Amino acid sequence: MAPATIVRALEAGLLVTFALLPLALADFWVIFVTRVLILALLALSFDLVWGFAGIMSFGQALFFGSAGYGVALLARDAEVRSIFVVLPAAVVIGLVLSSLVAAFLLLGRNPPSLTFVALGTLTGSYAADRLARGWYYLGGQNGIPSIPPMTAGPTEIGEGRSFYYLALVFLVAVYAACRFLVRSQLGLALAGIRINEARMAFFGYRVQWLKAIVFSVAGAIAGAAGGLYAFHEGFVWPNMLGVILSTQIVLYTLFGGAGTLIGAVVGVFAIEVVSFVLADAYPTVWPVILGVLLLVVILFRPSGLIGLVLDQRARAGAFRVAVRRPRHVPGKAADGAA
Amino acid sequence: MEGVISAVFEVLNFGAIMVLVVLGLGVIAGMMGIFNFAHGEFVLLGAYTVYLFHTWTLPIWLGMLAAPVVVAAIALVLERLVIRRFYAVPVIAMLGTYAVGLAIRESVRGLIGGLYRAVPEPLIGSIDIGAVHIARWRLAIVVITVLVMVGCYLLLTRTGLGLTVRAALENPSLARASGLSTTRIYAGTFAFGAGLAGLAGALVVPVFSLSADLGIRFLIQGFLAVMLGGVGSFEGSVAGAALIGVMSAALPWGVAPVLADVLVFLIAVVLVRLWPRGLTAGRTV
Repeated sequence: MAPATIVRALEAGLLVTFALLPLALADFWVIFVTRVLILALLALSFDLVWGFAGIMSFGQALFFGSAGYGVALLARDAEVRSIFVVLPAAVVIGLVLSSLVAAFLLLGRNPPSLTFVALGTLTGSYAADRLARGWYYLGGQNGIPSIPPMTAGPTEIGEGRSFYYLALVFLVAVYAACRFLVRSQLGLALAGIRINEARMAFFGYRVQWLKAIVFSVAGAIAGAAGGLYAFHEGFVWPNMLGVILSTQIVLYTLFGGAGTLIGAVVGVFAIEVVSFVLADAYPTVWPVILGVLLLVVILFRPSGLIGLVLDQRARAGAFRVAVRRPRHVPGKAADGAA
Repeated sequence: MEGVISAVFEVLNFGAIMVLVVLGLGVIAGMMGIFNFAHGEFVLLGAYTVYLFHTWTLPIWLGMLAAPVVVAAIALVLERLVIRRFYAVPVIAMLGTYAVGLAIRESVRGLIGGLYRAVPEPLIGSIDIGAVHIARWRLAIVVITVLVMVGCYLLLTRTGLGLTVRAALENPSLARASGLSTTRIYAGTFAFGAGLAGLAGALVVPVFSLSADLGIRFLIQGFLAVMLGGVGSFEGSVAGAALIGVMSAALPWGVAPVLADVLVFLIAVVLVRLWPRGLTAGRTV
């Protein structure tokens, strides 16, 4: 089968499965899968920046968590919880924050090194986590508990089937938008940047601006996910902002296969479900296994789970391609197999 | 006056710990071009070794002597098995070493049962300077750090071994052409850097007490210190670490502690953005 056919079949299969799943599952599992759908949204946002634009962001949780805190404050202090206000607010918070971060990290006279962007986003995420932990107004260590459910007109959207379909609609819409984006002219330019940035700059593309745009869009998606998550869980806490979640999302996406949008969804689903089952049975050993498993994937299967069904060359973002050496380290050329 | 002395000592103390952690991180980042996300876990392993010696009712100082050796040995095995595959692919290296760190951290968490474990200080009591009491052990940390730092500097600049290490750092291709085994030098350097982290962990465990998340607090500060000082220089790492250490310890005296914590990171990131090559750009050992 041609790779495009496989992807399309996989997409259709997953869509039908997710659409019918709540009919077959108990309430408890519906809530669990809703959470996975929201995390998949976050993974999509990371996949967009790394898999397609080649920006390593270790800080997607910063936008996720900030939007979560933002809507939680709206619900707590302003008592606004209409879905038509809070979700756009979450998107705007993610968008504004990520634009600021992108402007600082990416734009300006010196184009930053890949490593600096990775460490800069990581630091942002860590600093936000620390700030939230120490700030009384944001609830400190405990976060903001018991956020009331979202409302759509007179009806409340509590966790369960209605929230599940809300999250699913969001995921499908964002997925479709991303799919359109990466196949558009912008997407092609981004792929060019990822593979050979200097050449694209030479062609006259404003490389850093394109990167900043896609980073901001991804931030908006992460914000939407954060808003949904806050209302689904009913509380927000500092871990939503922190390094652990940021890194988790990176690893989930790589596990599934970065650079294919469907890979991000598959990765989150696979790890979350296996985690859920094994973490109960082996609470102390499971995190160790997870670490080793991820290491094995990174070492031996860089194309991720999706690489099992997809030819490496057919993918947009085989991540060995995107690897560049840091420019500021002198004499580092052709050093790998030494 | 007392306030000033104890403040200065506090700054010195934290700066010393940071220098020990960052020295290894900086050498590894400079030589192999990778940022080692498992470095914090090497600190943790050093601390855990001391804790193990304590539970076996062996003297604490013996554990502190053993910790760097044990951690270096573990790091050597890891380098040969895993880390060497990551050289020259910096982003993959971050992810790979993060996964290694995750496995180590969670193993230790399982072993100590997810609790905080206290280890007594090997030197008890305090020294009085005027009306200020300074704990002997904290003073010892500063002294040991200075000794280790001087030792490292002499090793790098005055010995034949140091010369080969510097050669591999500055121009690996030429070093290989001259018949030096960069593979071996990389492995040795990685183990040495990890050993220093292990020593740092061993020295601070009586102060901070042992928990699985001990390493994380040093990791990001360590990265910033390395970038701040300039990747690939000995002085740079030390200067960056000192600067971060001083800021972390000094800012809480001026602004609210919550804000100070975050400010340190923001200031450091902004500085690195403005001087991407580091504060000591162009000057290496």
